[in-house]
Amino acid sequence: MEKKLSKKALIKSFHNWYYGHLTCFSQEHMQTFGYLCAMLPLVEELYKNEDDKAKAMNTYTAFFNTEPQLGTVIVGITAGLEEARAGGQEDVDDETINGLRAGLMGPVAGIGDSLIVGTVIPILLGIAMGMSTGGSPLGAIFYIIVWNLFAYFGMRFLYFKGYNLGAKAVEFLIGTQGEAIRDSVSILGGIVIGAVSATWVSVKTSFTLYNEAGEAYLSLQNKLDEVFPGLLTAIFIVVCWFLMAKKQLSPIKVMLLLVVIAFVGVLIGFFNPGLSY
Amino acid sequence: MEISWLQAILIGLFACLSSMPGMGGTSIGNYTLGRPLIGGLVCGVILGDIATGVLVGCAMQVVYIALVTPGGTVSADVRAVSYIGIPLAMVALNSYGLSPESVEGAALATSFGTMVGTLGTVLFYGTATINLVWQHAGWQAVEKRQYKKLYVVDMVLPWISHILCSFIPTIIMCKLGADVVELIKTTLPMDGIAMKTLFTVGSLLPCVGIAILLKQIVKAAADFVPFLFGFVLAASLGINLVSATVVASMFAIINYKIKMLSAQRVAGAAATIDDDEEDI
Repeated sequence: MEKKLSKKALIKSFHNWYYGHLTCFSQEHMQTFGYLCAMLPLVEELYKNEDDKAKAMNTYTAFFNTEPQLGTVIVGITAGLEEARAGGQEDVDDETINGLRAGLMGPVAGIGDSLIVGTVIPILLGIAMGMSTGGSPLGAIFYIIVWNLFAYFGMRFLYFKGYNLGAKAVEFLIGTQGEAIRDSVSILGGIVIGAVSATWVSVKTSFTLYNEAGEAYLSLQNKLDEVFPGLLTAIFIVVCWFLMAKKQLSPIKVMLLLVVIAFVGVLIGFFNPGLSY
Repeated sequence: MEISWLQAILIGLFACLSSMPGMGGTSIGNYTLGRPLIGGLVCGVILGDIATGVLVGCAMQVVYIALVTPGGTVSADVRAVSYIGIPLAMVALNSYGLSPESVEGAALATSFGTMVGTLGTVLFYGTATINLVWQHAGWQAVEKRQYKKLYVVDMVLPWISHILCSFIPTIIMCKLGADVVELIKTTLPMDGIAMKTLFTVGSLLPCVGIAILLKQIVKAAADFVPFLFGFVLAASLGINLVSATVVASMFAIINYKIKMLSAQRVAGAAATIDDDEEDI
């Protein structure tokens, strides 16, 4: 007995996920309730019998957490699997569905965190900040429109890719083409972030040596900028990266370290914001 | 600059919508309204000074440009950064008479925002903990097969968590803010060590934000080259961000084509080897 989900139920399921995947977040069950809400319209359409409904819903009570935007593909895949199970396919059971969910949520979270949250959003924000120089709202509006269109239609695309292709949809993400795209996007991200740091981050030293007549003959900041404009800024960024990536310090510890560096720097006259009333 | 009750209430509502498990959903709530740049625009509109809001937002955005929350661990809370930090920073700039466009203005905004954002993680864990109660109700609904209740559990009840952990704290902080800023101003003079340190920290903090992002991209030393290339584009050549993105896209496309070509060659080579074997 073949069963087919209606477009309406699929769209409702997608919207439930799009909005509700994290609204009821707790450390214990992160996206589990969002997942249950996404599956409910499908389960209600596929099963008429209360026992069958309960059996299907119980499948999705298992813990779930991933990068929710890219993770939409997993919800799409399970929509397809649930349809197959309702249609009487013997080889689809609780174990296949939950095995697949558990197996995919880790890798998808890894790719999603670094590709979407760690690269696409910063690139868009970088461009937006460029457009907002001088306090113009243009950049912020640009980000609101572009990001939300991208997120909504991207997630919708992933949902239906998952539903139509099943597990094959993930190959697109981790296959050769997916890898080439990710590699290229990370180059794009690297260059844009470089430009963002040079434009928006400014670490300057006030260290100056004076001769006997009281004239400045060595300004460290100018000397450093002659070597490489923005050298001090770049050094600080690389040091922070080194502490976090190689020394495994948490961001908060690095921030506290910077407070100490700033305090010592101010005391010895290396840093001086030069403020007065 | 005084924040009125109505303004505080509006800002409080946005705080509920944004944040990590926010009521606006992830894409609209956390990744749009929660970003300091957007929070700056929203606070600017509500407080009647869009330019200052956006500039303060930009300054804080650099620190949180890559706020990744792997496995739900947060190092800063966006609702606190964007809807407590930004209004307070705007009040502070106004009170100190600093231009938000100046380096000092940005540094003050950054250190204020980061301080508030770090403390704000308490709000994040508070919300997540209260949500446990709703989830408990959710499990009972599943047991009793009252599935419709799941919608209430997932999308309605968490509002209560947010009224407690987003709405009320934001209103209190916005209303107290002006007094606190005034207190800091009188106890800590601008040319004293404490304020100088605060401003210096403000200019150093964005380095951490950028470095968090680099952690995602840089795996080996050679991966620093695109970053430095972009840095040179802006710092030495004076190219603006939009143009730099176009240049960057060009390199990304070239890289993509090369990767795809080499993948095809590997696939092609594998195919020829197969043919040879068949011949034998």
